[in-house]
Amino acid sequence: MNKVMSNKFVIALYTLPALLLILVLIYIPIALSGYYGLMDWNGIGEMKFIGLENYITLVQDKVFWTSTWHSFLLAIFSTVSLLLYLAVSLVLASKIKGSDLLRKIYLIPMLLSSVAIAQLWMKIFDPTNGMANKLLEWFGMENTPIWLADPAIALYAIFIPVIWQYAGFYILIYYAALKNVPDEVIEAAKIDGANPLQIAIKIKLPLISGVFKVTIMLAVVGSLKYFDLIYVMTGGGPNGASEVMASYMYKEAFKLNHFGYGSAIGFGLLVICMLMTLLTSKLTKSNDDVQY
Amino acid sequence: MKKKAFSALLSLALMGGIVLGGCSSSSSSSDDSGKSSGGKTVVKMMHLWPEGSSKAQFTIVDDIIKDYEKANPDVDIQTEILGNEQYKEKIKVLSASNELPDVGITWAAGYMQPFVEGNMFAPLDDIVQKDQFVAGTLDAFSVDGKPYALPLELNITPVYYNKEIFKKYNLEVPKTYDEFLKVVKTLADNGVTPITLGNKDRWTGSMWFMYLADRIGGPEALNNAINRTGSFEDPALVKAAEEITKLVDMGAFVKGFNGLSNDEAKGYFMNEQAAMYLMATWELPNYTTSPDVSQEFKDKIGYFKFPTYEGGKGNIDSYVGGPGVGLFVSEQSKVKEEAKKFVAYLVEEWGKRSVVDAGVIPATVVDTSSGDLDQMYIDILNDLGNATNLTLYADVQMSASVADVHLNQIQALFGGQTTPKEFAKTQEEALAAEE
Amino acid sequence: MSDLSTQQETTNLSVSKNTKKSALNKIGFGFLYLILGLFAVIQIYPLIWLVFFSLKTNQEVFGMSPFSLPQDPQWGNYTKAWTSGNIGLYFFNSIWITVLSVVLTIILASFVTFAVTRMNWKLSGLVLGLFLVAYMIPLHSTLIPLFNMYNSVNLIDNPASIVISYTTFNLPLTIMILLGFYKTFPREIEEAAIMDGCSVHRLFFKITLPMTIPVLSTTAIINMIYNWNEFVFVNTFISSDHWKTLTVGINNFVGQYLTDWGAIGATLVISIVPILITFLFLSDKIVEGMAAGSVKG
Repeated sequence: MNKVMSNKFVIALYTLPALLLILVLIYIPIALSGYYGLMDWNGIGEMKFIGLENYITLVQDKVFWTSTWHSFLLAIFSTVSLLLYLAVSLVLASKIKGSDLLRKIYLIPMLLSSVAIAQLWMKIFDPTNGMANKLLEWFGMENTPIWLADPAIALYAIFIPVIWQYAGFYILIYYAALKNVPDEVIEAAKIDGANPLQIAIKIKLPLISGVFKVTIMLAVVGSLKYFDLIYVMTGGGPNGASEVMASYMYKEAFKLNHFGYGSAIGFGLLVICMLMTLLTSKLTKSNDDVQY
Repeated sequence: MKKKAFSALLSLALMGGIVLGGCSSSSSSSDDSGKSSGGKTVVKMMHLWPEGSSKAQFTIVDDIIKDYEKANPDVDIQTEILGNEQYKEKIKVLSASNELPDVGITWAAGYMQPFVEGNMFAPLDDIVQKDQFVAGTLDAFSVDGKPYALPLELNITPVYYNKEIFKKYNLEVPKTYDEFLKVVKTLADNGVTPITLGNKDRWTGSMWFMYLADRIGGPEALNNAINRTGSFEDPALVKAAEEITKLVDMGAFVKGFNGLSNDEAKGYFMNEQAAMYLMATWELPNYTTSPDVSQEFKDKIGYFKFPTYEGGKGNIDSYVGGPGVGLFVSEQSKVKEEAKKFVAYLVEEWGKRSVVDAGVIPATVVDTSSGDLDQMYIDILNDLGNATNLTLYADVQMSASVADVHLNQIQALFGGQTTPKEFAKTQEEALAAEE
Repeated sequence: MSDLSTQQETTNLSVSKNTKKSALNKIGFGFLYLILGLFAVIQIYPLIWLVFFSLKTNQEVFGMSPFSLPQDPQWGNYTKAWTSGNIGLYFFNSIWITVLSVVLTIILASFVTFAVTRMNWKLSGLVLGLFLVAYMIPLHSTLIPLFNMYNSVNLIDNPASIVISYTTFNLPLTIMILLGFYKTFPREIEEAAIMDGCSVHRLFFKITLPMTIPVLSTTAIINMIYNWNEFVFVNTFISSDHWKTLTVGINNFVGQYLTDWGAIGATLVISIVPILITFLFLSDKIVEGMAAGSVKG
């Protein structure tokens, strides 16, 4: 048994193709990105080596840290929202009537491209004609918010579509994981007199804890490098109120011709992601990874 | 066992692909541009007029290319067409990799500068006929007196207004800023949005500031601040910023303007939810020729020149505007001479057709007598002929990073997150830092 | 078949010894369905909105409430979307590029996950870490280096660059999702197979892969959606029209000063149809596959 499963040739055969791909197409760019970070380069003319200057600027750059904070906030909100998605999935997977149809409906928004989602939510947030304010007016509110135009709430307003956008993604994963729990285990619990809630909490949740940990990781990293809707809907504004790390990097590198500095931001983002992942895995670590 | 063979093959193929890829380096990539099959000279061109959104421009360029290829059977012009944002992003990647197309589209002044300094664009002084262009347009595409791109468009920015809304509240077209303020006040008091503004895009608000700066301090005030013979803390510029704050406080602009894109803000004007809209003449087709807009709406729309400011130095025939895009030839191009010839031809033909066919005012001198033009075009072209000054959009004049400071400050000023004094000071510092 | 079991389940749930509890249960269920229904409305609304959107004029798209019905349905938007530009060709490209990339990603990712979780070797943790970190890099950091690399091997304007990029950039995510599942799959069957003298490859293809169909379907859905909607890579690495994909077709309606939103809506609706169908199909596989797996177990 051990011998078969330790066959070096097979291990190499199975891992090397994928490994080579990421080494060439992801790690070389990462390295180059770190290298461009050492350059004074506008992305057009000659590069000039300036050592760690960009990185020193980065550490002292208030805008960068504000964007980092915004990214952190998104990571926290995304992670918390996982609980909601988990609850929804538990209901869907519990074989209640119509769960099959509901599941399909719930996952539909994840099929939409960011272009469509951005358009939809910009319409919802429109201060005069938008759905959000129409609804608030209907409830009798007079000074309705201006949503994306208000620096105090723009960031939180934009979190809503960002987090909502991923609802389908996580529900899909949780659903698959829950469906993966063998029926026998649940039947056995039922015979012991457990009610559906008890089954969910005591039996199902522990069994999918591995998947749940992975999704926390995905939510944290995905949030820290999030870009799409923020770029389209607010462009990081007004006045940087909704700037996140990735949008700041894009702006510096592609809009302001600070390609060297933009690369340094990208590298910084990576380092922060790694630190956060380490932290998350420490926090979620437990010795009893369940198996069945 | 078949499966085993398959998996091994697959892995090998992928690895092989990568290894091959990694090793063959630059041996073969150098000679692909230049000649195609049949010995034709290939000129690669990138532009931003997709057939779907800009059919008229697309067709003009397409026709010009066909004509050119007919006249020069040994030349093959290959086009790549992208949307506006994608175009800008791709140009960045291509220039960083030194792979610009032979011919492409560029924006003026501040945008173009780094490309010229980086030796990416070829000087076009040898193909330029200066008198072919409206005075000043070529300058926006020149560095140290040499043109590096040929302008295609020219825009000025009038204030469009809804005649029906004006009539309803007995309003006259304002000639002076005081009259303008009265118009704004009347509309606001009656619960009508006076002005729509998509200030998420920021350059939209910048045009309001620029006009006020021009009317108060004359064109020199802003120009000198940017070209560093003056200061951004010039009293006229601070005063202009104060006027902006006043307008905002009066409720002159649409609700939530700082979160609206220009496209969204335009919607308010097109749906008659706002009375005025300050925008460049590229909007003219919407009020004249566009088949997608009802004639009923078009008839309601007129325009006026930005009013004069009492005691100010600027006059009513001075405009904010400038050439939009121009054509460059890549310095690295292997077919530079052919590309230049083509660019010269394109600019000339474009000038003949763009107003009539696409509603685009070219940077080349237009003969208004030919073709049947909509009255609004004729008026605008006449205004253009009588213009005393054309101030290039501030964010185009500035380098990318100073422009970003300017635009952020504009958004902050409109949003009430900065004072006129601070507004001026921050920009003065940014400009000074780059001297 | 699933209907039967659902019904059985409901009866199981509602049959209770205590009548008071049953009444409570009913109220509880009513409330639950109310919430579920509300959530369903929220989730399906975007699709309906998109269809309305695709039938509006530019004038209507802005200004009017997003709830509003198109006043005079602009079917012309669809004609425009279908006739200007090579949308048929883009469609074809989108399909084969997406399918090929999804298949490659899933096979390669399964190989790696299998080797990491099932086989014994010292460096498995390190290899896993490499994939995890690879998930963290922001896409835009890689654009210029990737362009240079593809350019130097003549893969620019070659769909291979797109397939390779999609495959590679989806590997880390796919492996991480698979990992969560592999850890919980029973090992007994595999161990028994090895005892019987089954080779590793046979084990992988005959037992592990079929057993993981539910999660493979899950990752296939996710990969498919990502690839289908991707445009940065296509835009950057492809220049000639005959290799472009549907997302680029949307760009066709974004102009210098004017964007034709109605036609964009129509293109979006057209482009969502194939993934909607595939999604509905794959989504059933998540459940079916499970059943098949448990039968074997």
